[in-house]
Amino acid sequence: MANTWGYGAMTNSLGDIQNAKAIIIFGANPAVNHPVGFQHFLKAKERNNAKIIVIDPVFTKTAAKADHYCQVRPGTDIPFMYGMLHLIFKNGWHDEKFISDRVYGMEDVMEEAKKWNPKKVEDVTGVPADQLIQVTTLYARSTPGTLIWAMGLTQHSNGSSNTRLAPILQLALGNMGVEGGGTNILRGHDNVQGATDMACLSDTLPGYYGLSDGAWQYFASSWGVDYEWLSGRFKSKEWMGKKGFTLARWWAGVLDGKDGNDQIHNAGTNLKNLFVMGNGITSIAQQAKVKEGLDNLDMIVLCDPFVNEAAILTDKQDDVFILPAATQFETSGSVTATNRSVQWRNKVVEPMYESKTDHDIMFELAKRLGFYDEYTAGMKIKENKQDYTWPEDATDEIARIIKTIGLTGWTAKRIKSHNENWHMFDQISGRGYGKMKGEYYGLPWPAWTETHGGSPLLYNINRSVAEGGMGFRNRFGLEHDGQDLLAGAGSAPKGSVQKDGYPEITAVNIEEVLGIKLTADEKKRIGKNWKVDTSNIIAEKCMEQGIAPYGNAKARAKVWTFPDQIPMHREPLHSPRSDLAKEYPSFDDKENHFRVDTKYISKQTEQDWSKDFPINLVTGRLVNMNGAGMENRASKYLAALTPEMFCSINPDLAGKYGIRDGSMMWIHSPEGTKIKVKAKYSHSVPEDRIFMPFHFAGHFQGEDLSHKYPKGTKPYAIGESANTVTNYGYDIVTQIPETKGGLCRIEFA
Amino acid sequence: MKSKYIIIALLALSSLAFGYSDSVVWSDNLVDNILGYDKEGSLHLGQYFTILQSTYFKPLFFGVLFGVPAIFLIHYLIIGPMIFSHDRKKIYVFTLFNRIVHAIAGIAFILIIPTGLIMMFATTFGGGEFVRICKDIHAISTLLFIVSIVPMFLMWLRPMLPSSDDIKWMMILGGYLNKRKDPVPAGRFNAGQKMWFWLATLGGFLMIGTGVAMYFQDFRLDILVSNSISQIDFLRASAIIHNVLGLAVLALFLTHIYMSVFAIKGAIHSMINGYKEEEEVEILHSSYYKELKEKGEA
Amino acid sequence: MSDIGNARLKFYCDEHRCISCDGCSVACAEAHELPANINRRKVVTMNEGIFGLEYSLSIACMHCTDAPCEQVCPTDCFYIREDGIVLHDKDKCIGCAYCLYACPFGAPQFPQDGAFSIKGVMDKCTMCAGGPEETNSDKERELYGQNRIAEGKVPVCAAMCSTKALLVGDSAEISDIYRERVLSIGHGAKTQPYGWSTAYGSKI
Repeated sequence: MANTWGYGAMTNSLGDIQNAKAIIIFGANPAVNHPVGFQHFLKAKERNNAKIIVIDPVFTKTAAKADHYCQVRPGTDIPFMYGMLHLIFKNGWHDEKFISDRVYGMEDVMEEAKKWNPKKVEDVTGVPADQLIQVTTLYARSTPGTLIWAMGLTQHSNGSSNTRLAPILQLALGNMGVEGGGTNILRGHDNVQGATDMACLSDTLPGYYGLSDGAWQYFASSWGVDYEWLSGRFKSKEWMGKKGFTLARWWAGVLDGKDGNDQIHNAGTNLKNLFVMGNGITSIAQQAKVKEGLDNLDMIVLCDPFVNEAAILTDKQDDVFILPAATQFETSGSVTATNRSVQWRNKVVEPMYESKTDHDIMFELAKRLGFYDEYTAGMKIKENKQDYTWPEDATDEIARIIKTIGLTGWTAKRIKSHNENWHMFDQISGRGYGKMKGEYYGLPWPAWTETHGGSPLLYNINRSVAEGGMGFRNRFGLEHDGQDLLAGAGSAPKGSVQKDGYPEITAVNIEEVLGIKLTADEKKRIGKNWKVDTSNIIAEKCMEQGIAPYGNAKARAKVWTFPDQIPMHREPLHSPRSDLAKEYPSFDDKENHFRVDTKYISKQTEQDWSKDFPINLVTGRLVNMNGAGMENRASKYLAALTPEMFCSINPDLAGKYGIRDGSMMWIHSPEGTKIKVKAKYSHSVPEDRIFMPFHFAGHFQGEDLSHKYPKGTKPYAIGESANTVTNYGYDIVTQIPETKGGLCRIEFA
Repeated sequence: MKSKYIIIALLALSSLAFGYSDSVVWSDNLVDNILGYDKEGSLHLGQYFTILQSTYFKPLFFGVLFGVPAIFLIHYLIIGPMIFSHDRKKIYVFTLFNRIVHAIAGIAFILIIPTGLIMMFATTFGGGEFVRICKDIHAISTLLFIVSIVPMFLMWLRPMLPSSDDIKWMMILGGYLNKRKDPVPAGRFNAGQKMWFWLATLGGFLMIGTGVAMYFQDFRLDILVSNSISQIDFLRASAIIHNVLGLAVLALFLTHIYMSVFAIKGAIHSMINGYKEEEEVEILHSSYYKELKEKGEA
Repeated sequence: MSDIGNARLKFYCDEHRCISCDGCSVACAEAHELPANINRRKVVTMNEGIFGLEYSLSIACMHCTDAPCEQVCPTDCFYIREDGIVLHDKDKCIGCAYCLYACPFGAPQFPQDGAFSIKGVMDKCTMCAGGPEETNSDKERELYGQNRIAEGKVPVCAAMCSTKALLVGDSAEISDIYRERVLSIGHGAKTQPYGWSTAYGSKI
């Protein structure tokens, strides 16, 4: 996403889905995961006659509300999308002007799409050719069409290719930057977008600034700390720029390549301590490895409102600390929604019992580690205060520093005023009424300046920049292979002094692009470029001239820095079709991938996995739970809806193994692990795959761990974690685990 | 033998009720239960039960409860009781075992029938705690009933089998419509007693079955599942059967009391000491008397 | 409400909108602090897993006009309020379950308690209108749960419904909402500020 057009976020909003004429959903189940947001899908269907098309290996609750449902084989979204593109280009349904003005590298995609005729797509995906034709015809002709995805598209070894081809499909149809169009990625949890924006990531500083030296310099000065001090915190300066471990594979950092585990590159040492704040690490792929990692740590600290079941999973007896963290009701601050809009959350009660808020825990930790002053310095800079007010000053600090995604407008005062006047906004467009006129609800980023009303719809050139319009971001240079990467003539946002494409704004080119003259004082104060211009001169001047600070460029279908320049189909590491795995092999093994050597082709060709493990394994969510389910399973009424871990299995498949509805079954994974779960007959899965929810923990490979819960903390429902049997496999770019396309073997227990 | 099975069945049922299992009334089966109410192809039991319970059962029970005694009162006044000579020999007809079994059954009936009636006319009693206690007594006394009805069934099965006398007995309604002491065609038990016996045993088993079903309510019987009968329909059928049979039981119970206490003077003593007046046997159980005579026991 | 005097409060679940999220049933259980085995409200899914045929419905007491439960009750513990809400008196109820047999919707619930699994008195959806006890008294709350109707609030299930599939209110009002949904098909997205009127029309 970010590599296609600049930002990796939902382009429109849930409300805007109501404007769509067609909704195509890849690997997402909003009816279950976003029940409240799903009303917009239903209203689009109701009021707009929108057709809902669901592409999913499992017949979901969303599919139950769909007009068309295509049951693809896990991991074959790319062939399916190429099949669509094949028909779109063949029949001339693509938006030629849009592509020539605003997209780079579509020719290569067209070339690849030619290979994927419906018959071939049927062979690979299992979706009948007729259905593909029907669905593509419907989707291509019902514009605007919006494209939805979630973890079903990303959690694959080539997930980053999936998430590039989906935008390409939308670009081909000209569905970008329009109401009712866009690529709308549904964030799975509360504030996931915010956490990502604030760099709960190991490869970037907050605001996607990356880890370059310039970025570090910018943050050092913005945080009010000495750059040398900052770099002194690292083993050596070069480690500042290196990506860290990820959530998916931190345990490899503990195991340090021993016992055949993947080798690590971590300055010659392994990880010793683990500090977890509100993360269900018992819902991470390869649970047995997670356990091994936990067992080998020197110390584990778990901060959660409920007992983090990592403490239950591990056999470690000493130095496991469970800190009671406060819930969101016991603290306040801003949270970012899936559509990039922000909301203020007010404290309802003081933290109960001995629990502490997350920030208190971190402040106390910083004090004891001796960098509390540096840690909090940034909050005092704006008004040169002696002390800070939490959380307002932290919010304002974010607004002051993060220019890349345009958080300048997100001052605490403005965010609060939106919450107080939430009834004054339109529920579909987010546009404000009355005194909120000119603002969009929650100031969806980028909100370029302190008065900018937010951009509810990314890449919309039919609005002026001041009203939230913009072209694609100029992020990948000015030209590639001799081709201009800036947007074509006449494709600048409305009301702009520049009618064509233009580069991102820097102190050097501002006068030329904007056609203005800066005063001497302005020249003195202006930052080097729009990303680091804390004076806000660039943003302010840009608004005046109708210019998007980040430029106006083409989206790229071709990412020349990726292993696959255009998205290519590659079979999952564990594919039930060994013939296709040969035809569409996985990537070469990748060394030092987030510090861990990661296997691709060598894993795929290790043996013919489909012979011993003939059944596809798909995991997903339940409506009454989220993540590892710690808090949900501790709720009497939520747990009662699904009191036991189960596996949805087609009665015909179950019948072959003598598994009866409600009887127990073993599921074995290629990794040599197994779980014992209850079989639940369901027609939502076909005969070649099973579905399991991933919210359970408390059992491990058939063993009940009830006795390990501290007294009174055992949830109402415990069970096997589906992730104990999810397979090895990580995305080539992001390292997200391949949980949506693995293999397994089942037997009656 | 039968008692063993019933106890096993009861234990099986109660274990289902105690153990946590998916509800067959409210879980996924709720849909079947709903569809079974009055949809085409259903048994329409929901509707029948509602009509019967709302309109017919109460008046019928009321009718039986007061109508039957009223008829007997008229009978008593017009025809009067049969009085047999107490001077002749006494014939030993009921063993101690017979009498104990009968006594337990009697106690059970005395507990079950009034509490059942109180439940039926709960509004009159104001509902609430008192009726709830009666309901529990009704349920618990069932155990006494089971304990008595099984041996009773076995010990009297043979003499209770139908015979040609029964038709004749029926034709003259047991000779109760006049005061003449003509010998009535009947074996050890007359047709009226047989009716009561079969109602109390076979009907009793049905009453137990339906009552237990309603008591435990939420349990899984595979036989129902395999015949696609929804649990609620099973319960509805149980309630209808229980009430209809209840009417018959009430009517014959009242008759039984009238006969033993009022219509045949002193008849009740035979169930206390085991002896019947010879004349009583001679007249009311003439075939049996002949039999005894032939054996030389009378 | 359009005509408060003749209002008859009803539930209606729009199966085109119900996504089986169970928000209603959990909200209900939580609000009234129900015992674990009591489901005053339940979401059922028909034809699960079959494309084009699967749909879900939220079911509880439907507060029938000619409530069969009221007709069969041997203790006459049911009473129907003027606004059509069917309630019952737990002090009178004997737990005979006849109402369950008469109910077309399987609404009456019976807590099993005690070692002999003696059924307790019946419990069912009150449309958040409590019971015969003094309104908002502790006893009412303990026996019947919240009385939101007395506080002028919508029953908690409908308030919580994520897609506004579950509607509650005067039957005329509900049919108006549903009619509007049907008639608006293909008329384009409707924009209006957030708020109460979005979910329940502007007349309330």
